[in-house]
Amino acid sequence: MSTTPADPQPIKPLISETNKPFWDGCRAHKLMAQQCAQCQELRYPAAAICPNCLSAAHEWRELSGRGELFSYIVIHRGYHPYWAQRVPYNVAFIELEEGVRMFSNIVGTPNEALRVGQKVKVAFEERGADLTVPVFEVVG
Amino acid sequence: MAWRKASICGVGHSRQGKLPEETPITLAAEALRNALEDSGIAKSEIDGLLTLPGTSSPEAAKNYLVLGERLGINPRYTGSLVMGGATAGACVEAAAMAVQNGMANVVACIFADTARTAGNKFGAAAGGEDTWAVWGMLGNAANSALGMRRHMALYGTTSEQLGWIAVTCRTHAAMTPHAVMQEPITLADHQTSRLIVDPLHMLDCCLICDGAVCILVTSPERARDCRKKPVAIWGMGQGHTMENLRTRDWWYLPHQAKCIADAYKMAGVGPADIDVAELYDNFTVAVLFWLEHAGLCKVGEAGPYVEGGTRIALGGDGVPINTAGGNLSESYMQGWLHVVEGVRQIRGECGPRQVKDAEVCLVTGRGMTLNTASAMILGN
Repeated sequence: MSTTPADPQPIKPLISETNKPFWDGCRAHKLMAQQCAQCQELRYPAAAICPNCLSAAHEWRELSGRGELFSYIVIHRGYHPYWAQRVPYNVAFIELEEGVRMFSNIVGTPNEALRVGQKVKVAFEERGADLTVPVFEVVG
Repeated sequence: MAWRKASICGVGHSRQGKLPEETPITLAAEALRNALEDSGIAKSEIDGLLTLPGTSSPEAAKNYLVLGERLGINPRYTGSLVMGGATAGACVEAAAMAVQNGMANVVACIFADTARTAGNKFGAAAGGEDTWAVWGMLGNAANSALGMRRHMALYGTTSEQLGWIAVTCRTHAAMTPHAVMQEPITLADHQTSRLIVDPLHMLDCCLICDGAVCILVTSPERARDCRKKPVAIWGMGQGHTMENLRTRDWWYLPHQAKCIADAYKMAGVGPADIDVAELYDNFTVAVLFWLEHAGLCKVGEAGPYVEGGTRIALGGDGVPINTAGGNLSESYMQGWLHVVEGVRQIRGECGPRQVKDAEVCLVTGRGMTLNTASAMILGN
């Protein structure tokens, strides 16, 4: 697929055996995380070893997708061709109900209306033919 | 009782700013020459070499090999540390421990970079395979801005309050001959400067520079015979949070408070003893957090504390910070010049920007995606 300056590619994760279930989950519109089979700690991002007890044994489970806007920023400079076309855009730091935290973007709310502490729910955004990215919407 | 088992006996730096005719090697040589001149020590006496690889040194963690070869140093003790803005402190601390334990007599700590001429960006995302860049978490201001936003939400801190830090640092830089940014700025200039990563404006950010710094560390005995008044290391501390996402209060950088607490304990001092503070300021908000972490004000109160600038300015009624202008206005030497200015303040050689009777100085550094931190207490 050719890329023109007007159509820059999004930044993609590096898919490995370890994080593939997470990104496959996104394709199916499910937010997945690993749970350690030994100490039960949930972990994100995907990792081969539990940072708490060092066990490799784990299961994948679906998260509620509900959480809170822990903090956010609005980036006004284009540090990458894809994102340069979207300035000013927000980057959100989300704390999910289950306690894990992740970076994401808030969609459907103007940047000026974002507030720390807003309740959010996961949504999924198609970025090209082969990438589905978890984003969040403000609820209530 | 302060530790005092190693001393800084010489400091030197190159010219700062945009120096397209120079390389990291020529700048490192300039800084080393100036540090040797400052101390009266001969290069042949250097038997330790610790470095922070600059962004324009492709050998990266093998930087100590390149500098050793080009500067003609065959050390007993060496290495490169890569901890971003915490590295200046970390190198001096490692040097101090090497000297204390007899592994070296004089350690040269060196940083050289031509980041400005090379047009290098400091915008690395973290997150491994699931890089945060997927969500556009790019640019070096992003992490600091994220912490500022939460501080604003929890404590009512404002962008105007950050502006007072920028204005104060610029005022101090105007008294510093080698400072890159000397033109005075106002709070209005800060507020109308363009947004880089909201809530941070352009004047909340440091300026990428070319330059080099050298700090010489030796034993208290050797330091006594040097050209300038020796500056003793009273206390040292480090703290690190590697797990950005797993640590709930990572945004507030709890390791920074711990590293200062360790340095205070080793030095036998507390916040009330600090006469001058050189606080790592890649962004204005860094100073805000340090003031709370150092106990110079209470948690959540740094915003009102810096308002008006009188508590952080030279000649004010608080602890003057970043007396040469810091990363924001002196030069972005990744905190290495913070150590140099701390030494000069304790020596009492800062002329118009000298803090009267400065006896105890706090120097801090922080780096990477806000994972690393170092703190030192310098004194007589």
